[in-house]
Amino acid sequence: MRHHTLRSAGATALALGVLTGVTACSGSDSDSGSDSDASGGTFTFWDPYPQWDEDTAWGQQVEHCAEQTGVRIDRTGYDTSDLTTQALLAGQQGNSPDIIVLDNPVVSTLAEAGLLSTTEDLGLDTSGFAENLMAAGEIDGASYGVPIGANTTALYYNATVLADAGVDPASVTDWQSLTDALEQVTAAGHKGITFAGIGTEEGSFQFLPWLWGSGADLHDIASPEAVSALELWKGWLDDGYAPNSVISNTQEVSWQEFATGDYAFAQNGTWQLAAADESGIDYGVLTIPSAAGGPAPAATGGEFVTAPVQTDTDRYETTTQIIDCLVSADNLLATDTALSYVAPIEDLREQQVQDNPGLAPWVEAVSAARGRTTDLGTDYPVISEQLWNAVQNALSGSQSPQDALEAAQQAAESGLGN
Amino acid sequence: MTAVPTTGGWRNRQGDGPRRRRTPSGTGVIAWCFLAPLVIYLVTFYAYPLYRNIELSFKDYTVASFVQGNAPFVGWDNFTEVFESPTLGPALRNTLVFTLASLVFQYGIGLALAVFFQKNFRLAGTLRALFLVPWLLPLIVSGSVWSWMMNSESGVVNAALEAFGIGQINWLTSPHWSLVAVIVANIWIGVPFNLVLLYSGLQNIPPELYEAASLDGASTWQQFRRITFPLLRPVSAITVLLGLVYTLKVFDIIWIMTRGGPGTSSTTLSTWSYELGFGSLLPHFGPGAAVGNLLIVIALVFGLIYIRVQKRQEEW
Amino acid sequence: MTTPTKKKRSSGWRTLVGVVLTAIMLFPVYWMVNVSLTRTQDMRKDPPNWFPVDPTFEGYTAVFDDQLPYLRTSLLIGFGTVALTLLIAAPAGYALAKLRPRGGGALSFVLLIAQMIPGIIMAMGFYGIFLNLGILNSWWGLIVADSTIAVPFGVLIFTAFMAGIPQELISAAKIDGAGPWRTFRSVILPVSRNAMVTVSLFAFLWAWSDFIFASTLDGGGDSQPITLGIYRYIGNNNQEWNSIMATAVVASVPAAVLLVVAQRYVAAGVTAGAVKN
Repeated sequence: MRHHTLRSAGATALALGVLTGVTACSGSDSDSGSDSDASGGTFTFWDPYPQWDEDTAWGQQVEHCAEQTGVRIDRTGYDTSDLTTQALLAGQQGNSPDIIVLDNPVVSTLAEAGLLSTTEDLGLDTSGFAENLMAAGEIDGASYGVPIGANTTALYYNATVLADAGVDPASVTDWQSLTDALEQVTAAGHKGITFAGIGTEEGSFQFLPWLWGSGADLHDIASPEAVSALELWKGWLDDGYAPNSVISNTQEVSWQEFATGDYAFAQNGTWQLAAADESGIDYGVLTIPSAAGGPAPAATGGEFVTAPVQTDTDRYETTTQIIDCLVSADNLLATDTALSYVAPIEDLREQQVQDNPGLAPWVEAVSAARGRTTDLGTDYPVISEQLWNAVQNALSGSQSPQDALEAAQQAAESGLGN
Repeated sequence: MTAVPTTGGWRNRQGDGPRRRRTPSGTGVIAWCFLAPLVIYLVTFYAYPLYRNIELSFKDYTVASFVQGNAPFVGWDNFTEVFESPTLGPALRNTLVFTLASLVFQYGIGLALAVFFQKNFRLAGTLRALFLVPWLLPLIVSGSVWSWMMNSESGVVNAALEAFGIGQINWLTSPHWSLVAVIVANIWIGVPFNLVLLYSGLQNIPPELYEAASLDGASTWQQFRRITFPLLRPVSAITVLLGLVYTLKVFDIIWIMTRGGPGTSSTTLSTWSYELGFGSLLPHFGPGAAVGNLLIVIALVFGLIYIRVQKRQEEW
Repeated sequence: MTTPTKKKRSSGWRTLVGVVLTAIMLFPVYWMVNVSLTRTQDMRKDPPNWFPVDPTFEGYTAVFDDQLPYLRTSLLIGFGTVALTLLIAAPAGYALAKLRPRGGGALSFVLLIAQMIPGIIMAMGFYGIFLNLGILNSWWGLIVADSTIAVPFGVLIFTAFMAGIPQELISAAKIDGAGPWRTFRSVILPVSRNAMVTVSLFAFLWAWSDFIFASTLDGGGDSQPITLGIYRYIGNNNQEWNSIMATAVVASVPAAVLLVVAQRYVAAGVTAGAVKN
């Protein structure tokens, strides 16, 4: 076999410690055996769900699709942020897996790098999938993946705490009424609200509904509206309505705080529904209000099924079959139920709400949600990084919200100028 | 015990003639035979990553050109970008404070413990081994535990301080405290390293010296100053040098606890390098590698100082 | 050292102080155990519980169901790394310390620089090399990668310690007709026990706690170390902290026992060696 001779030659060279032998390994040589791991009817499959092994619903779903297609699927779960690095490295070395399930804001970045095949090339039928979800995977009119499900954030509330403070959850319809509620709750000796303001994409993901709800958009994050959104968060911190720990909170930590039962509100995601049921807290869910009232558009979360570019184009046919199987109506319903996600297809959502009425506010929130990369494409990561920096600087008191956002806007513009 | 130190007497200069600085020639070829495995190993496994780190810093890498390998050569542009960045000042200052504070406390505490454990007492060995347990924890766990303990509201550190009437300190979320918080955690991680190295160094000091000093009526403190510290100097030097190299490199613990923030209040050169290269969805490999190379140069300077000092000691 | 009578008198308070110091040092470890037993609703309780009042063992059941194979791989990788590191570093340290060839100084310098290359860059470099060699996703490939953390350290430590070996010992061996290899094996190595222990210890610990190489080079492997086992509890949006901490606890117990036993054995070995001579 070609690869074997190549390998042993490489091994000899290395064993001799010949420098050229080492540098020969560098860069983007096309003959580096891209498909050696996936030959012989084995298809490699990466996803960001290391917590689900082959015995879980998701693992079985993948296995089921392998059987249906008549191939072996070699599945590996990576941590979300690690998966991007892995995908880049593998792509650079021409060793990409056949299928990657990717976090949606990453799709445009990898697509721009030329790592992903378009759904058109693969011959995937994406009709019926919700527009606002598909948008996150589109660049210049081409679409690079199929959403496997969606999530977003909303406000969980603790009904017991609210009742004790005499707050009617239905009264929370805009920022003012929410802040009033927080004041009442803290006055009654409870804690107000917890969210995740950490300096990562998670922080931006949580802040975006407030930013969008203020009427601002990502093209100008230093607009008066945007500043008002950050001032809202900062005000909560200063008044003691939100704990200081939100500055370093991940969404999981923020959830743990809510789970203590002390907090009236927590901004968190669809994925905590199961944990909420288990917690024993009498909880409810509100969509995040906008400044002027009515639901604010939250950011869509969730993953896309994508197919990286292969040198061996014959593989695409089977890859397409596997993806088709994964996103077929029945399987999607099962998958999204297992992941506690909202289905990407309208009809399925109705089914989901029928099965579990608790999902209704989430379906509504997802329908109103916006993709993070929809407006900005690959500019999004630049803006997002500056946005979370600004949130950090303002909440920690290093800068005023106004100064922080102005600095962020400037840095973003010079970053994009390059 | 006989008079000759059998456990590998440490630079036993007392009473010896002048040391030969270089063994007679002819051993050159043999020496390189002993070094051959190392050299092969270095060339095989370090040459390429080192070349890569330098190459990254002189090219304009985007995600696309990283994958396709066709990034254009941009000369010193990445370095200029780094030097003009407003982050450079705080990063340098924090690196200096972080490294200095970590080294001083790690070494001081490590040495004190090593001297303490040198005396044979019941459980000494077991306790000493237990001191290494922090090293068994993956950094993601120890970093998380420290952030857990230092959480503003629910952290045990603040709970303990409150018992003494000290109000809430925002260890991880205040720009005034975040650097202190990561330094404390890093000292905790570094103490076992110093303890082990310095303890083995102490083991190599011939006990006869202490016996003689005891007979001369030297106090414990005098014994430490006249015997322990001078004879431990070579091991101390390598411990501090390695400690320096590792401290300059530390990024995981800071990354897990504060991500260099809030703002740039706990950003060091290595967290900055990582942040640029891998911290966001859009990597800046070039400037990231440039910062990495800056670190290598800094370590190099200290390496040179170490070798100078070592040479002078030998000539002396 | 202190005389026997003095030793007895002082040993009591020393043990006490030692225990207290160890307790302070291990407090974060205790806290990890505490968290591993805490229910989700108490994890961020303000103020925190100093003891697990309502303990949950969920984390531990998960760990014992899932993690034992990972533990075995970690041990394997740890010992493999120790062996490889000693094999390369000990002869090199001897050469640099005692044979002092031309260019040795430069080599020490390279070692210093080598340690400064960021782990992630090393990992990226290895990825390319391993892919070409076809040893990606194998545990023994990981031994090679993990040893790169320990080898430069090992060489520098061996050089520093072996430099202190009296020249007379080597000269005596030479007079007895020993060549350089025999001198190394039967004179240098036996008296370098402290250095060997130190290097082994750190080689093991580094390999044991390595994460970045494991995730880059063995992410899709069949046998993975315990640091990757923790991944099973880190989901996309939620982390099972009970299980993560429980894994760390369970993983440190055998390794801690190993450390205690090893250090007993080593202490005994050093004394025995001294008496024998």
